[in-house]
Amino acid sequence: MTATTPIPEVYILWHSDCQLGELFAKRIHAWLRPGNGLGPEVFYRCLPAPGETERGLPLPIPGESRGTSRFAHSSTNLQILIPLIDANLIADSLWREWLKKLADVESLIALPVALDATAYNVAGGLRSLNFLRPAGLPLAADPKPEMLEAAVRSMLKQLTESLCRLMLHRGQVQTGGTDMAGPKLKIFLSHAKVDGVEPARRLRDYIYSKTQLAAFFDENDIAYGRSFAEIIETDLAAHETAAMIAVRSSMYASRPWCRRELSLFRRPRRLTDDSELVQRWQLHPTLVVDALTADGETLGIPELGNAPCLRWESLPDREEVVITSLLRDVMLASFHTALGSAAAKHATAGSVVINWLPDPLSIMHIPEARQVGGDFEVVYPGRGLSGVELDILWETFPHITFRSFDDILS
Amino acid sequence: MNTPNTKYRSNQSVDRLIAFSISYQRENLLARGVGLEHLREFMLGIARPLLRQGASLAYGGSWAQMEGNFTYDLLELIKAEQEDNSIQGPDTSFPIGSLYNHVAWPYYDSITPEIEAQWVNCCRIIRVTQEEAGFREDEILGPAGSDSDSNSDRIVFNRAYVLSAMRRIMSEGCDLSLPALGHQAFVPGVAARIVIGGKVDGYAGMMPGFFEETLHALRRGIPLYILGGFGGGGEVLAKGLLADAGATVPELGFDHHRRETPDVACINELCGKFRKPAGFTPESLFDELGSAIDNAAANFPRSLSNGLSEDENRLLLTTSDINEARRLVRMGLNQNFNMSRLAE
Repeated sequence: MTATTPIPEVYILWHSDCQLGELFAKRIHAWLRPGNGLGPEVFYRCLPAPGETERGLPLPIPGESRGTSRFAHSSTNLQILIPLIDANLIADSLWREWLKKLADVESLIALPVALDATAYNVAGGLRSLNFLRPAGLPLAADPKPEMLEAAVRSMLKQLTESLCRLMLHRGQVQTGGTDMAGPKLKIFLSHAKVDGVEPARRLRDYIYSKTQLAAFFDENDIAYGRSFAEIIETDLAAHETAAMIAVRSSMYASRPWCRRELSLFRRPRRLTDDSELVQRWQLHPTLVVDALTADGETLGIPELGNAPCLRWESLPDREEVVITSLLRDVMLASFHTALGSAAAKHATAGSVVINWLPDPLSIMHIPEARQVGGDFEVVYPGRGLSGVELDILWETFPHITFRSFDDILS
Repeated sequence: MNTPNTKYRSNQSVDRLIAFSISYQRENLLARGVGLEHLREFMLGIARPLLRQGASLAYGGSWAQMEGNFTYDLLELIKAEQEDNSIQGPDTSFPIGSLYNHVAWPYYDSITPEIEAQWVNCCRIIRVTQEEAGFREDEILGPAGSDSDSNSDRIVFNRAYVLSAMRRIMSEGCDLSLPALGHQAFVPGVAARIVIGGKVDGYAGMMPGFFEETLHALRRGIPLYILGGFGGGGEVLAKGLLADAGATVPELGFDHHRRETPDVACINELCGKFRKPAGFTPESLFDELGSAIDNAAANFPRSLSNGLSEDENRLLLTTSDINEARRLVRMGLNQNFNMSRLAE
């Protein structure tokens, strides 16, 4: 067992005869890298490496004893292997043995995906792992698009939850192909009692019935007389509350406690102390569920900043979509916190490294940002903001230059 | 720290045209652990900061909506950058670059006015005609499909020379002024070229397009970034550049292409049947390419003129790590053009 801060890169592996493999791999790539350079690097292993025979093996995975680690990103220290296992792979002795060997690689964590029932015939250490089992598989020969989409969504949901759990247990990562387990992630459900209970209750029920997460739903979960602020502060300090869902109903903006919850949760926390030349800050992700009704109007909520938003009424399988999207954001935030540690080593003294995409209000919480003069840099995840976002930030903070992780690390 | 009025954009590269020789070949990329997504990320990761420096882009992709055609990716990027630049923010007075799409006869016949009009603010289409390739009036053919099968040799022959003229014009630049209206417009020649992938057989011209574009760059000392670790034409060119003195790379020779791409043998023979509008043949172009590659191999910083050292060029010619390749290209562009950092 090794104790490290994981900065993972992902390797998706599928047999070249597997019909679903490439489609699933592309969907995983798109899901894990949703923005401009956000998320972990994702690479493929399918066709034989250059110079190999027609039925030869793909390029090795970094850390594999077969040879080169040339695909390893300089900032990563953990390889996550996602083998998409089907009968083609199991029946191919070369691939079966390769997978068996990979399960023994110290620096790899494997999250095997069973595309059909033969997947469990895999050899070696992978056999003992808890496979991801996308619903609806195996598919018929010529599946309807909606069947295929349901299988993909099911896979992404399970994968997201596994990756999220893995990323949040920094310093407790077990490597060597073993399964991941740990304390449950907690989702805080912020809602107005007067008109936002129904989505919040449905999300809570989904969390407890369909996931391995925990929900914080204040109707039940705040002990009488205990300060709400104290609970959030305690949970955040203990890295327990992973994320917030703000159910934005018509009355949400006018409820003082809802605004207070949101304000507390959307307040970045400093990770470094005064002795360090580069500050690092962290913001836990918030997902807005838009539950506004067609009639009436409501106030804007500046504390939401650039938090992503999903519309409750228009979503199919809405609970699943909301929770899976939020978990993806939790995983990304954790990844960007870890990558920020690497970026901080390359940043100039006085810089501030953050784990979220900046917006004016979230940056305003950083004391230096509120001071006039004293130019410094804010380093943020990804490969860069849009021009209009940079312009707005420049006008708000003329003394700050915003630079991306990619700009710093490359 | 940047000066206050040039924090995220500038006009430092406003007259520069950066060309992408980039093509998607599924098997080549998958064998190297990447896919179309990675190639798109690579290209956009280079293109966006260039546009914000005012540079324009050259990409000879088609206008068909199909996998692996990056024309619309670039157009959408340019459109978004232009929209962001239109809000009169702190440094939005600098123009965003645009796309130059050089298209040869007869391929431009399929570009409709509707397509051109839709993207007119993002893209300038430069049609290269048979006249511009040097054909006389009696040698010129009509629009695609209007000539009889008996003219098929002439079609293949003319098309090849127009494609070559298009690549030359792209390298040199051209004048699109409208004197009658007192309107002046010049398209700059290519200031740097980035080569990744590329078909090496089954092509339509004198030689693979990537080879001919590379030859023009080497002739004119245009900075050249050849990514050899992703297969296709880029890998073949890299092999040639890295080969030991005296060693030959068959895929860079005319004999190989005469065997593998029948049209090339045909064009070479037709050079004895029809008047040549320019002084070269496929065979002579391959010979020239071979010599240019041999000469370039002696000193990469001088021959490739791309701001990278010998070792950095060797890495760019061999790496299959697309992030490392992107880092090297950006580094070279920064150093070569003395740009402020290509901030994104």
